[in-house]
Amino acid sequence: MFMKMSARKTAVLAMALVAIALPAVTCAQTADDEAELPDYSRKGADTCFQCHDDQVVLAIFRTKHAMPQDPDSPFGHGQLQCEACHGPAGDHAGRVRRGNERPAIPAFGSMSTTSVAGQNAYCTACHAPDTGFAWHGSSHDDDTISCADCHSMHVERDPVLAISTQADVCFDCHQQQRTQAMKPYAHPVRQGKMACTSCHSPHGDTPERLLAGNSVNSTCYDCHAELRGPYLWEHAPATEDCSNCHNPHGSTQPGMLTMRAPMLCQSCHSQVGHPSLPQDARGLADNMPSELLLGQSCLNCHDQVHGSNHPSGSKLMR
Amino acid sequence: MLRQKMKSGRTLVAALVLLAPAISLAQVDTSEWACESCPFDQGYRAEIDAGATNVSDDAARFGNYTGYDEKGTYADLNGQGRYANEGYRVDWYVEDLGLDSRVVEIETGKQGVFGFNVGYRDLPYRRFDTTSTVFNPTSGDTLTLPGNWVPASTTGRMTQLSSSLQQRMIGTDRQIVDIGANWQPDDAFRLFADFRRQTRDGVDITSAGSYTQAAFLPRWIDYETDQIDAGVQYRSDSMSVTLAYYGSFFTNQNPSLTWETPFLTAPGGTSLRTAREPDNDFSQVSLSGKYHLAAGNTVIAFLAASGRGEQNADFLPYTINPDVVTSALPRGSLDAKVDTFNYAFTVTSRPLDKLRVKFAYRYDERDNKTPISDWERVIVDAINSRETEQNVPYSYDRLHTIVSGEYTLSRKWRLAAGYERKEMNRDYQEVAEQITDLGWGQVRWQPAAWLDIRAKGGASQRGIDRYNDTIAVSLGQNPLMRKYNLAYRYREFGEVVAAVSPLELPVSFSVSALFADDDYKESLVGLNGAEEFRATVDVSWAVSESASVYLVFGQDRIDAHQTGSEQFGFWDWSAFHEDDFDHTGVGMTWRPSDSRFDMSFDYNRGTGKTRIALDSLSGGPSTLPTLESTLDSAHVEASYEFSDRLHGTFHLRYERFDLKDWALVSETTLPTVLTLGAQPYDYDVYAMGIGIRYRFGDGTISLVE
Repeated sequence: MFMKMSARKTAVLAMALVAIALPAVTCAQTADDEAELPDYSRKGADTCFQCHDDQVVLAIFRTKHAMPQDPDSPFGHGQLQCEACHGPAGDHAGRVRRGNERPAIPAFGSMSTTSVAGQNAYCTACHAPDTGFAWHGSSHDDDTISCADCHSMHVERDPVLAISTQADVCFDCHQQQRTQAMKPYAHPVRQGKMACTSCHSPHGDTPERLLAGNSVNSTCYDCHAELRGPYLWEHAPATEDCSNCHNPHGSTQPGMLTMRAPMLCQSCHSQVGHPSLPQDARGLADNMPSELLLGQSCLNCHDQVHGSNHPSGSKLMR
Repeated sequence: MLRQKMKSGRTLVAALVLLAPAISLAQVDTSEWACESCPFDQGYRAEIDAGATNVSDDAARFGNYTGYDEKGTYADLNGQGRYANEGYRVDWYVEDLGLDSRVVEIETGKQGVFGFNVGYRDLPYRRFDTTSTVFNPTSGDTLTLPGNWVPASTTGRMTQLSSSLQQRMIGTDRQIVDIGANWQPDDAFRLFADFRRQTRDGVDITSAGSYTQAAFLPRWIDYETDQIDAGVQYRSDSMSVTLAYYGSFFTNQNPSLTWETPFLTAPGGTSLRTAREPDNDFSQVSLSGKYHLAAGNTVIAFLAASGRGEQNADFLPYTINPDVVTSALPRGSLDAKVDTFNYAFTVTSRPLDKLRVKFAYRYDERDNKTPISDWERVIVDAINSRETEQNVPYSYDRLHTIVSGEYTLSRKWRLAAGYERKEMNRDYQEVAEQITDLGWGQVRWQPAAWLDIRAKGGASQRGIDRYNDTIAVSLGQNPLMRKYNLAYRYREFGEVVAAVSPLELPVSFSVSALFADDDYKESLVGLNGAEEFRATVDVSWAVSESASVYLVFGQDRIDAHQTGSEQFGFWDWSAFHEDDFDHTGVGMTWRPSDSRFDMSFDYNRGTGKTRIALDSLSGGPSTLPTLESTLDSAHVEASYEFSDRLHGTFHLRYERFDLKDWALVSETTLPTVLTLGAQPYDYDVYAMGIGIRYRFGDGTISLVE
């Protein structure tokens, strides 16, 4: 109880301090940023296309960003067109003295020097409401991931928004998860039939693991609603956290279990009698075949490991 | 207690919503920005791939999630298209239309005003095609034996077994229908609604015991889940708030399974019955949002959600066996209710140019209000245990607090550190209160634009108030057992990631390594420790403007050590697990701009090995045969341009998979368990297809003259 009170007090105190101290400092910071920006170009996109007219650049016109009838689109009436995302191009598009280098476009160019946070600010100026309630402070934000690290704006179908191609984008950074997805028992990510965003919210929702649901279990129940229960006879670790027994990124064990049964079950069950017996090579098929080791092991009889609604199911056998 | 928590959360949310500073936007004169050369999207265009693919052999696993599970020829149909006119747009997309993994998506609307989408998706799950059973389904929830079946005490004595076995493929199909809509009546409000129906049908495996035996049963799946997401969002320059509803409604058309036991059994026990997943509902209302203070340098985000899950499916009787006498059930259904509460609060800020700080707090609760009653138990439809048991409605709450900060020392160096506390409070379990303290630090070094190295390390300690042996013993548990999700645990972890991307070279290179070491120091029986090591290497090389190659390698190694006690005391047996998995992938793409031909190639190899060694008082040292899996997978795609609109296509998918698993045994290997005889996977299959790709409408985009 003392610990609980302590954590709450700490939380409230920290919130109060942050809320009181910040506004003045951040206003000054904003003014500095604005002072550094160059002017906008004189004619907008028509200026840009005098040089940038290749298919990659022009593919923007196959996307939602180039929809003139949408007043909020970068190409909507009165909007900043290319410079809505790339920043003011007055210097970049202006005359350059002989011998001088053309100034870089402020954002999203190969030579641009705008920080990741600065580049993301261009995106969140419009997309802030779309980035989940907690992009700021999410692990992606902490790692200074740029929106453009994942999203491709100059393609008709952004690969990270398509189920069949999304994982390849995520695996560029999450290489360990790519390895796990190749394991023999895994969700159909490798086959392009399930997206990382089926479970994760990359724009940040929960403070842990960027889960799409409010917990591990609520995320799993989105597709496995049959396991939600509540059951008459619950299996406590399954009720609490599916990842107590399953590794959702992939496993070498059937059912994406974290360990081979019966040893997984014996990590928690040591009741007198058969649950406590070691299941070694004596129980293999060519010796004295053991129903506690072979087939589905403990689940040969206790199949209802996610819970049972049978009045006689307290041992998860019915 | 709970109400207090909720009240404080609501007060906090209300206070945050009231804070709203304005943000000024830059004013730019765009009156001359005519965009006269802009080739805005208008009219209709589409691309259709049509062809045929031949699959060389039957293999359930090859068809798992792909639909290519049987030998033969499949129609290929893929495509996408768009019609756009004055801001209105219709997009359509189809994938694998000729397979059991088909996808259809249609999206329409006027951007910024309204949108409407419809989708359909099939997902085939193919588990085994080597399984056989003696059971026949007379309905979705009843299995019978052949008329001439002669029950026996062991599988070896079942005289009609071999003549009664019928092949039965194990697999299910999931269909997902998705209908969604959104409407933006003005700049500030957005309404959205999405309805999703998931159905899943097919045959899966279950197993259940009879008198002293068990049987694997093919069970017919017939699930339906309706899900609704709906809400309204308010947005302004400085804040957004979303009020949303989520509902999930699951129904099971086969909530029980009755079968005739193939074994000799107790009197009256020839027919047995088990319960399956009961219907359940869950509804949740949430309020979430974020608030920008001073141009986004400080962001406050919040979430408050309240949900209720209910389950009130009719109970089966204690037993189907008429010879077993029982009392009446306490009630006809469970009347189960679980309330969930979640609230979260995050503040991130950059108070100084070089400093970024974060504070996050989250509370999650599962409050199980299911009534508790006394229940009898009939053991495997044969014997009334004569013992009364009470159901245990588990509840818990979690609190998670995070404080972290990052400081930019220089353009090259950044330091970050954080502290987290997780509290878990449970009832009815051996550990009532669990507190995990976690500290971490990170150094990031970017000496140049082409090099980024990040090293992170930390430790956590999961402490418990006490391990309540009384609860453990009441469940017949060895009092020395420490369940690994409840036990004391000390964890150390570290990770290094390095990325090298020389600007002047067409090569990029990255490596990563992670370790985590869990020590369950106070667990005399149970899981004692686990170590995980992961490493990856990625290399990509743009050989030329038209060709690129890549090489990836990944390793994942998990070692674990556990102890047990067959004497029901101090540990007298132990088991060591080594779980290794290696993945290697290579590939290339070749798309020359001056050629009509392009192609890509990918090859992946995954090898898994699990070694389990035991040492026990009764059996001495013993090593189980290594569990092995080897996957070789190759994929080639090529196309030839006959004209601007017409391409010829070719694709080849090859897969070889070999599994060695001693747990998969024949129907008669186990005397007291009648299995389905699933064989370890061992296949070598290719799918080769040809087709055409035809494009309607404009292919290239040209500036308006």
